[in-house]
Amino acid sequence: MDYGYTTSYTAAGHSDGGGFLPNSQNPDSGGGAKRKFGTDTLRPVTIKQLVAAHHPSPDAEHFIIDSAEATQVTFVGQIRNISTQTTNVTYKLDDGTGIIEVKMWKDNDAPDEGRTGGLVEQGYARVWGRLKAFANKRHVGAQIIRPVADLNEVQYHLLEATAVHLHFSRGPLESMQAKGGAGAANGANGADGTDGGYAGNSAATTIPANLSLRAKKVLHCIQNAVQTQEGLHVEQIAAQTSMDFGEVQKAGDELQNNGLIYTTVDDLTWALLDV
Amino acid sequence: MSEATPRITAQYLEQFSHQNVRILGKVRQLRGEQATIDAGGQISVYLNRDAHLQLNHAVEIIGKVQNDLSVKVMASTDFGPEGQIGQSLFLLDAKGLRAVLTRWIDFAAVEAVVDATHRYHEIFYDKE
Repeated sequence: MDYGYTTSYTAAGHSDGGGFLPNSQNPDSGGGAKRKFGTDTLRPVTIKQLVAAHHPSPDAEHFIIDSAEATQVTFVGQIRNISTQTTNVTYKLDDGTGIIEVKMWKDNDAPDEGRTGGLVEQGYARVWGRLKAFANKRHVGAQIIRPVADLNEVQYHLLEATAVHLHFSRGPLESMQAKGGAGAANGANGADGTDGGYAGNSAATTIPANLSLRAKKVLHCIQNAVQTQEGLHVEQIAAQTSMDFGEVQKAGDELQNNGLIYTTVDDLTWALLDV
Repeated sequence: MSEATPRITAQYLEQFSHQNVRILGKVRQLRGEQATIDAGGQISVYLNRDAHLQLNHAVEIIGKVQNDLSVKVMASTDFGPEGQIGQSLFLLDAKGLRAVLTRWIDFAAVEAVVDATHRYHEIFYDKE
């Protein structure tokens, strides 16, 4: 990756731009460095992630979310307040996970109508921009902010943000791992927009490759169930997977031997060992 | 106090009593200041003066879960009429009859979001 530092002490040795190496740079060297667009990522996030994001240094232009660099971010939230100032319009956005201010700089040459039209208080909006820290307060400098016309986008976004969070915190989906290589890691930002329920499967690192198909099926079923203390009974699993009672039991034995599930109230009720 | 309003359905009410939550459901009954919302089960809600709920519409409410597991509404947002996914809405306008983009709320996606919210709460809310 080429970070375009004016000094070369960190850039040496990885100029090929091939891999995804979140820790490949010295986080303290961010000061004064000019970043190139080539290193930019656009990541779907929740506002809680923005509020909690690690800022490697007060001058750094990027933040760290799930130990991966984030430069540009996108999110969907409900507009709680709009305040028009001389140089910018500030929107207070709430997505249910937190609240953050979004600033859109005024462009005096272009009428605002096209860029901020349709945005109303209590309406939902989609933002693309960059997280910034200014005087100990975080805000997002927006490139684009537009009203959400189809409210399914709210759900879609939260599921996409979850899938990407899981990608970075637990590793790529199994299929992505099969293709192998760091190239997949970069491309996966938008590619693995699977639904949140299925994303439970992306804990691929903990699933042994030699697991039988029936065991995977049962594990998937338990992962996708509402997580309770008791877990799921064999009969429930059999009904949901339309598998044979005996098959489910064999799969259960296999999963227990692999340390993926454990028995709860009785021998035939199983819960995930690692939620 | 946290600014988060976790998305929940009826089954999570007990777990979130005395907390602020967000519920996306279908309006089933309106009785003056009280309403019933279907979100994975029936939920009794007490409305504020600004709330304008419409029967058989999807609505998102932000409110506080009370002792009796009813919800006191602080804000509500209309999410449009209920409909079947894949069904089109036909409109008659100056250009004649045309189908417009369906904007029904997909409640399967809403359920998936609630599930993800609690399964991967680290990006949605802080657990006490």
